[in-house]
Amino acid sequence: MKPASLALHVTLRLRAASGSEVRRSGVAWVMVQLRQRVSRAPASASAMVDEGQPASEEEAEHGLLLGQPSSGAAAEPLEDDEEGDDEFEDDEAPEELTFASARAEAREEERRVRETVRRDKTLLKEKRKRREELFIEQKKRKLLPDAILDKLTTASQTNIKKSPEKLQEVNLQKKNEECEKGSNSKKTKEKVQKVQSVGQNRSYLAVRLKDQDLRDSRQEAAKAFIQNCLYGPGTNRTTVNKFLSLDNKRLPVKKAAAQFLNNAWGTQRKQNAKRFKRRWMIRKMKTSKK
Amino acid sequence: MGEFTVHRVRFFNYVPSGIRCVAYNNQSNRLAVSRTDGTVEIYNLSANYFQEKFFPGHESRATEALCWAKGQRLFSAGLNGEIIEYDLQALNIKYAMDAFGGPIWSMAASPHGSQLLVGCEDGSVKLFQITPDKIQFERNFDRQKSRILSLSWHPSGTHIAAGSIDYISVFDVKSGSAIHKMLVDRQFMGVSKRKCIIWGVAFLSDGTVISVDSAGKVQFWDSATGTLVKNHLIANADVQSIAVSDQEDSFVVGTAEGTVFHFQLVSVTSNSSEKQWVRTKPFQHHTHDVRAVAHSPTALISGGTDTHLVIRPLMEKVEVKNYDAALRKITFPHRRLISCSKKKQLLLFQFAHHLELWRLGSTVATGKNGDTLPLSKDADHLLHLKTKGPENIICSCISPCGSWIAYSTASRFFLYRLNYEHDNISLQRVSKMPAFLRSALQILFSEDSTKLFVASNQGSLHIIRLLEGSFKHLHTFQPQSGTVESMCLLAVSPDGNWLAASGTSAGVHVYNIKHLKLHCTVPAYNFPVTALAIAPNTNNLVIAHSDQQVFEYSIPGKQYTEWSRTIQKQGFHHLWLQRDTPITHISFHPKKPMHILLHDAYMFCIIDKSLPLPNDKTLLYNPLPPTNESDVIRRRTAHAFKISKIYKPLLFMDLLDERTLVAVERPLDDIIAQLPPPIKKKKFGT
Repeated sequence: MKPASLALHVTLRLRAASGSEVRRSGVAWVMVQLRQRVSRAPASASAMVDEGQPASEEEAEHGLLLGQPSSGAAAEPLEDDEEGDDEFEDDEAPEELTFASARAEAREEERRVRETVRRDKTLLKEKRKRREELFIEQKKRKLLPDAILDKLTTASQTNIKKSPEKLQEVNLQKKNEECEKGSNSKKTKEKVQKVQSVGQNRSYLAVRLKDQDLRDSRQEAAKAFIQNCLYGPGTNRTTVNKFLSLDNKRLPVKKAAAQFLNNAWGTQRKQNAKRFKRRWMIRKMKTSKK
Repeated sequence: MGEFTVHRVRFFNYVPSGIRCVAYNNQSNRLAVSRTDGTVEIYNLSANYFQEKFFPGHESRATEALCWAKGQRLFSAGLNGEIIEYDLQALNIKYAMDAFGGPIWSMAASPHGSQLLVGCEDGSVKLFQITPDKIQFERNFDRQKSRILSLSWHPSGTHIAAGSIDYISVFDVKSGSAIHKMLVDRQFMGVSKRKCIIWGVAFLSDGTVISVDSAGKVQFWDSATGTLVKNHLIANADVQSIAVSDQEDSFVVGTAEGTVFHFQLVSVTSNSSEKQWVRTKPFQHHTHDVRAVAHSPTALISGGTDTHLVIRPLMEKVEVKNYDAALRKITFPHRRLISCSKKKQLLLFQFAHHLELWRLGSTVATGKNGDTLPLSKDADHLLHLKTKGPENIICSCISPCGSWIAYSTASRFFLYRLNYEHDNISLQRVSKMPAFLRSALQILFSEDSTKLFVASNQGSLHIIRLLEGSFKHLHTFQPQSGTVESMCLLAVSPDGNWLAASGTSAGVHVYNIKHLKLHCTVPAYNFPVTALAIAPNTNNLVIAHSDQQVFEYSIPGKQYTEWSRTIQKQGFHHLWLQRDTPITHISFHPKKPMHILLHDAYMFCIIDKSLPLPNDKTLLYNPLPPTNESDVIRRRTAHAFKISKIYKPLLFMDLLDERTLVAVERPLDDIIAQLPPPIKKKKFGT
């Protein structure tokens, strides 16, 4: 920051000495000058690395003169500048300035820059604040009115739980309520009454679905854990049929298993067979009648 | 007695849910049992092990822990993350408090009963303070890495042991920090890939921590140094539960193979003072996992996935060695789950989440005694009515004419009207039932099906008049003297004048329906009522209690009948008093006023009041005498109690008309066939 400002500072003074016309296009002039000087600015920066006051102009110039050889790109503005310079007498020697005034000017410059930065910051802050408020406003518009929210917070502390299907119903009802309330008073009386009766009926309880999901998922995880511990892989479990048939196998007269028949075997095949038999019988009746 | 054709019904597919937790309360000698569907039942062990109260289940409530706290308060916690307190007077749930730790796996009440400790899924152990009307969160202990599956307090209340996956932590209650972390081997003398789950821990007062885990080990740890003292390998499968007696000289563990082991502290040699823990007795009363055990001062209680509740009194602790010291196995419900419509020959079966309506089959054949008659028309499954919502059905009833069905869950009451055209049935729901009808404990229709009687759990009795397609609330009998006492059983007289209601503690109240006021109260008896019925014509109220006493009370006369006084003076036969299961249903013969038909799970009996009563020396279960015996012998052995054990296990038995009986049986094998898989047993030769 500082080297650039100092460069600015230096050039301003140079031009100021030459005439009032500079003031008018001071900034542009300064820009041009900056471009010219930028090629040498790194060197000046390095020269003034140790927090240097701009000190005397001579030193600054000296630093500038010590600057890097200008590259081809920088050479052109040099030429322009020289043309510009030609307009205003460049032959004059730069004026001398005391250390104190130079320091004062430098300080002022810094202050100005600091102030601009501060102003920029506050402007940005205000902008952000305004945006935040806008968002909050939008969010508030999206949320349900306070009455229902109060009901919800008290409801979440009571002990009755709702089943998921009812919750969805309730959510639908809540949404209806919300959009009706949002679109306000112009609605017909019967619709408003319906909403009111639903709210005062007290046959349901509204619970936040987000909480419910979290709770359900944890409960499901816990149940899965228990199921895995007791009946999962690695546990030595057997079917009830095999368990009860153990005694039958060790009797002196061996008996069959406790559930010997599997009645659930081949239900589809049995059904097809039954249907086929019925159709065949009907066909047989028809042909025999003929 | 007469000849009856009996409909033997075996299509009631009743499967009870497995027992998950058991908690024994020493002061009141009561046992709280929680099942996998969320039902909590309270058994009164001193009243002949009768189930006196129950709380209906809920689909989302997967109870994992149950405990009693100071002042007879019952708490349960489950995988839905909530701690629930039950109101034992009003028979409903007082409140459910979310512990905010995820699913709760374990819960333990402090030894002095004023604090509650809860172990959660996220590894946190939370301490709650029990205030007079609620519980309040106090603080969290140090959070552990994996879920806390078991908890146990030191008897002084200063330390707790928490069992998790692969390790046990010992916490200091005051600071809440973990003092020791004891790592458990995954397998006895070996390595295993499967993690070792510590299913149960117990903290003894000398600082020993006993842990049971899924590798089949019972380990003794020293909590002061955090080291393993002794290691017992007792099973090839998980050891899932542990319970220590109050004197800390014995404890019981239950395994997944169904075996229950009893460990006792015995001295090393007969006169030395040094003692050690020795595995003394194995009991094999279960076929499936034993997930809960409890140790009362005189008995070992176990329950598991095979749905039996087994109470095994320990012979050395029992003072009087009589029939009370025998093994008790509670398998069948102590309430009626079936109602019958006699006119239309319909049966209504009550399940946890649905009702089934069946029409009985018919036969045209006749035969002699003992014949099986072929059915000409099969039994018909008319209706399968599913309940809405996650709650279980508490009670249900069908009207005698068969056109009304009513059932109740904890939050709603449903009434349906049935219409029969030819062979079709159509159902119509009566909407807008009043709110005070919900959570009914018992529903009953009057004989002419015009009135509905509902006993709610708040103690009030409601009478509703049924009209075509709608209803009208007639009257409500409020409970007396401000006490909330739930009415469990109802009976109505066939002529519709009298209504009898029994509560859990006071006597049986008899109400006059015509005048809508209380008529009289049968004096209270110290055992709960198991069945009630009012006889036709004579209006005698027959009451059966859980200690197998049967009383007969005349309602118009407001006193016990002659017969009842006689039998109380003489006393029942000792075999009658030694029956295990309570009488659940009483009915009468319309033409024979001297007959009372009652049944329990293993027998049904017709009491003939005109015949002499048996004394202790006569044979109680006398079979039907053969006809070629002389009359003298028949007269000598005839007594009032005609008992038959042909149909068992009986869930319901009733007289449909003068010549027909219906017996609903539920063979135990059919229940076992639908249970979850058991642990494999390897037997030589199979």
